[in-house]
Amino acid sequence: MIVCVAVVGHQSFTEADDALKLHHIVHCSLDVVDERVNNPKKSGPLNESFLGLLCPPENYKVYGYLTNTKVKFILVTTDLDVRDADMRNFFRRFHSAYVDAVSNPFHVPAKKITSRTFAERVSTIVKSLG
Amino acid sequence: MQGSKIFPTCFQTHLKSKLYSLLLHLKFCHHGFNFSTRSLHRQVSFSDHEAFDHPVACLLVVSSKDEDPINKFVDLFNTNQLPSLLNDGAMDPKILKHYLLVHDNQDGMSENTTKILAAMRSTFGSNDCRLLCINSSEDGLVEHQENPWVPHKTDASPSQHLGCFLNIDDLDEIKNVMQDLSSKHIIPHMEQKIRVLNQQVSATRKGFRNQIKNLWWRKGKDDTPDNSNGLMYTFSSIESQIRVLADYAFMLRDYELALSNYRLLSTDYKLDKAWKRYAGVQEMMGLTYFMMDQLRKDAESCMENAFNTYLKMGPPGQQNATRCGLWWVEMLKTRYQYKEAASVYFRISGEEPLHSAVMLEQASYCYLFSKPPMLRKYGFHLVLSGDLYKKCDQIKHAIRTYRGALSVFKGTTWSHIKDHVHFHIGKWYAFLGMFDVAIKHMLEVLACIHQSKMTQELFLRDFLQVVQKTGKMFEVLRLQLPVIDIPSLKVVFEDHRTYASPTAISVRESIWRSLEEDITPSWSTVKTNWLESQPRLLSKKYKESNVCVAGEAIKVDIGFKNPLQISISISNVSLICEHSAKSDEMVPDASSTTTAHLNDEEKRKPTTSGELSSDASSFTLSEVDISLEGGEKVVAQLTVTPRVEGMLKIIGVRWKLSGSIIGFYNFESDLVKKKVANGRRKTKQPMSDNLKFIVIKSLPKLEGFIQQLPKTVYTGDLRRLALELRNPSETSVRNIKMKISHPRFLNIGNEEVMDMGIPACLEKKAKFVQSDAHTRINKVSDTVFLYSEDTLIHGGTPFLWPIWLRAAVPGNISLYIIIYYEMEDISTVMRYRTLRMHYNVEVLPSLDVSFQISPCPSRLQEFLVWMDVVNRTHSESFQVHQLSSVGNEWKISLLQPIEAIFPSEFLMAGQALSFFFKLKNGRKSVTTEDNVSSPAPLEGTDVRLGHGSNEELFDISRSPLADFHHFERVHQRMSDQEHPHKVDFILISRPRRSDSDPGLNSSVNLFSHHACHFSIANASPIWWLMDGPRIMHHNFTASFCEIRLRMTIRNSSDAIASIRISTFDSIPGGSPLSDATSVPPGNQAGWHDISLLNDIKVTSEVLGTRVGKSQLAECASPFIWSGSSSTRVKLEPMSTIELPLQICVFSPGTYDLSNYNLHWNLLFSDDEGNRGAGIRESSGTCTGHPYNLTVLQSA
Repeated sequence: MIVCVAVVGHQSFTEADDALKLHHIVHCSLDVVDERVNNPKKSGPLNESFLGLLCPPENYKVYGYLTNTKVKFILVTTDLDVRDADMRNFFRRFHSAYVDAVSNPFHVPAKKITSRTFAERVSTIVKSLG
Repeated sequence: MQGSKIFPTCFQTHLKSKLYSLLLHLKFCHHGFNFSTRSLHRQVSFSDHEAFDHPVACLLVVSSKDEDPINKFVDLFNTNQLPSLLNDGAMDPKILKHYLLVHDNQDGMSENTTKILAAMRSTFGSNDCRLLCINSSEDGLVEHQENPWVPHKTDASPSQHLGCFLNIDDLDEIKNVMQDLSSKHIIPHMEQKIRVLNQQVSATRKGFRNQIKNLWWRKGKDDTPDNSNGLMYTFSSIESQIRVLADYAFMLRDYELALSNYRLLSTDYKLDKAWKRYAGVQEMMGLTYFMMDQLRKDAESCMENAFNTYLKMGPPGQQNATRCGLWWVEMLKTRYQYKEAASVYFRISGEEPLHSAVMLEQASYCYLFSKPPMLRKYGFHLVLSGDLYKKCDQIKHAIRTYRGALSVFKGTTWSHIKDHVHFHIGKWYAFLGMFDVAIKHMLEVLACIHQSKMTQELFLRDFLQVVQKTGKMFEVLRLQLPVIDIPSLKVVFEDHRTYASPTAISVRESIWRSLEEDITPSWSTVKTNWLESQPRLLSKKYKESNVCVAGEAIKVDIGFKNPLQISISISNVSLICEHSAKSDEMVPDASSTTTAHLNDEEKRKPTTSGELSSDASSFTLSEVDISLEGGEKVVAQLTVTPRVEGMLKIIGVRWKLSGSIIGFYNFESDLVKKKVANGRRKTKQPMSDNLKFIVIKSLPKLEGFIQQLPKTVYTGDLRRLALELRNPSETSVRNIKMKISHPRFLNIGNEEVMDMGIPACLEKKAKFVQSDAHTRINKVSDTVFLYSEDTLIHGGTPFLWPIWLRAAVPGNISLYIIIYYEMEDISTVMRYRTLRMHYNVEVLPSLDVSFQISPCPSRLQEFLVWMDVVNRTHSESFQVHQLSSVGNEWKISLLQPIEAIFPSEFLMAGQALSFFFKLKNGRKSVTTEDNVSSPAPLEGTDVRLGHGSNEELFDISRSPLADFHHFERVHQRMSDQEHPHKVDFILISRPRRSDSDPGLNSSVNLFSHHACHFSIANASPIWWLMDGPRIMHHNFTASFCEIRLRMTIRNSSDAIASIRISTFDSIPGGSPLSDATSVPPGNQAGWHDISLLNDIKVTSEVLGTRVGKSQLAECASPFIWSGSSSTRVKLEPMSTIELPLQICVFSPGTYDLSNYNLHWNLLFSDDEGNRGAGIRESSGTCTGHPYNLTVLQSA
């Protein structure tokens, strides 16, 4: 089950679940994102947004995704056997939902996204993946 | 030293010390962890599964004072005193023994010692015995630089003065003994043993044959139950021998040898499923690989293997697993693989909370040291470890880790995490009783907007609990609850400008300035007057800082906002001010010392309940209590009232949150950010100056308001109000002036109308003495009124003055009134003050009145006036009372009796009605003087429109109506040219009196609608009228018809007019209006070439529209003008003449007799001509008025 989906931009953070622990997990998984992005030679040339499995702390698996504008999507799931293709698919749909939400003229860039439609879309995407 | 046993662990510490030094090398590795790892190593040593800690040699030490040293030596190595491992066969009890006799020189050199030594030599062999003499210092005062045992013994208390009798030689001697022991005895012994064991192992295990044999033998033992805990391998078993061999080789740095033996062993143990031993061997293999510094992968895989095997064993292997993990970590650290090290630490941390807390903390440090540093993971692991520390009640450690984590989260927007960390640190500090720090951390989480309501409540409640536990009143600068809304900060003070109401304060200063301009003396004039004593005081300083008056409150509006969802209460909100007594020299620095002192006192003084005014204080502060609901914003008005002259500075604001903690806010600290200084002053000074006030001696201050000013009125409503002025102080003010911004709406009345009702003062009176109205008021201009000199207001007695309000146009109207007054006492700094009043009046539309004027076709100098009245209100109905025309040359009268056209008398809501009036020019003579004085007493005529004939008509020349009419005229003026042929109307109506609500009626009185500057269409001074029969019957068979007409001409100008009437017989276009039968078919009239008549000269612009009419020339006219074609007359001013005219008609039909021109020329006398030329025309040509004449064939 996907327990947390986060959008991390310059300032913004939208949580699907505001448990403190997930905050921590998302926050520290950014380290891994940084590492992946800054050390392309280590993990091969990075020419796709999908960052793959970031780290498996304890009972969770954390997946990351980086948009062209350096906005990170972090996904925390309790599913221990997740296929990468599923994750890729999820992030692609999530990305388009995010783009739609940000394209809203009333959205203030670099502020928390407060769109109800966005929340609904995210929850449907999450549910579709189980 | 007596009876101690020393196992030669110094050799095996070789590796350890390297790792230790690494540990020490890492700065982050604090002492506590170091110590704990060391004790861990000590604890897990001497295990039966490995030979690393097995004794190699035994040092037996006996004092020379002992009675029977030889027996003592024997006794020391007695079997029943040995550790169990040696006795139960896990270790080889046959170890190298060394005998040391220690002699204390303080006891004196005794022969006995040498004797004992000799006996020892004979008993134990000469090689293994030695004598050590210590404490040879004479006075026992040898100071050592440092405790010589420090590196080896950590738990020695520093207070003990160890080794004070040891001199340098003794220390050297001790060192020598130990070096001898290790180099001459232990190492050779070990080498010897390695040789022996190696031979043994080669014989039994090396070679192909031995290996096969071994394999077969092992297979055979497969069925034996796994009893790894039991003493399956004694020291004499071949496996143990190999292990000892490998360990010895490792210790003596023969890593190749060690490795080969370890490898040999590991397969054996693996086959035997002796997991603990297997793991131990794997561990050692890993270390050996590491020491050989090659095959890193192998080293790590060995370590991992060992680690996992230990873990598999469950709880008994836990400690070993930890130790193994630590080795592993150290290996990784030396290779700077901090990230991997961190993950190993993470794996080491097991179930036990304290254990894992320590490990997680170490892991976090590894993340910090990794490259690039993984700060977020560092923070995360610190938080995890802090939680575990807390679980084991290690609060101090928990706080330490959390504080470390705080540095990561500081400055980020991850507020949930931040709040969590701060809140817990705060709570833990409070638990430890360190309330100051606790509160400091708790303060950080107070304004947690993002948290849920429950969390907010929890935070606030815990915070308040902590504060209460301290039992003190804490004072916090920049308390985050509530949020001070600095942009809303507004300081209102009254210097020479005073305000009657809060609404007046919010009006822009520029509006007041522009209004005040012409009634206040400018500062510069005051200053340049050097004869006065005031300019000295009005120094630069005065101008730069704000001036306020002692005894008058300075109001500060501050917005408090509650960011939380829960409600909070703040009490004792007051300003923080400082007051410094003004020195006579007005040197700013002179007051600074007292300022600071007072400031501190004021600031730190805990707020007591009730009024904050103390007699010692030179100012009074107001206090308010506010309760803020969730998300609410409240603007509180705080006041400070200076009591004595001097300098007052507003520093900040102070409040008490939930009755337990005091918050401060310093305005000055926000200086840079703040742009809006105070609402009233548009100065560019920094804010600190804006909050600084010079307090001057108390002055009288007028208070004023307008009584009964309605909020909403209908357009045209005219009512009397009263302006009440009051001066509470005994000092009187004088020289009062008043200025009104909208004289169209508000006008000053005469004093005597104060006692009269509104209709009464407007009713027509036979005698009306107007002169006495101006005794106390001088109108300086249209908007400025000057009260007479003797008007003094003082002592709190109200001063009433009537004011007229007339709602001129619908809309929202802001009325500004400024009252200027001067101080009776001229010694004050401030000479004058102004009172600013502001009122908003909403004016609703009531009656729409429009007029149309057209000349009366049949009468000379008469006009028809068409008045449309529409009631625009929703509910009101009006009684139209009277219509007055203004101007002495016009007489207005109804066309029809009012009962006929307006039977209902009331105009209902939404109803429209038209009235027709006759307007007659009744001007007798106009002198030029009349034109100049425009607002002079209005004369005019009135028409009663109401039914009751007994009701009095209102006199439009009485004060309020006439005044307002004047302003309406000014306002509605279309061009600046004053034209006499304009007429103004005033419609006066009254609202319907409803009997049900008599209270309302008393206030609603009268409506007046003014319509000005209606131009009369004909501007020519010459009037004429054709008069004659309209229908004629004539028998055309007999003769043509001769008709006489009469033209009446009037000269209404002031000059003699020369008038020429020229007729022409051509028909104006389309003029034969006769029916088709009457016109012969052969008549070609109307079908000729059209050309403009050249001889018709049209100069009058007023009649320009008529020029376009084409006229047919050379047309056989059905009628001709008989008599002279041109008549010239001279007309005296204001006189009328009648001219006879005659036409001949030849056939029946309808004729338009307008084909004549009238030329007029005013013959001015010389001076009049020059003057009048600019205003009106001196000559003109008019074409004739249409005059239709029908001639019928008589029977």
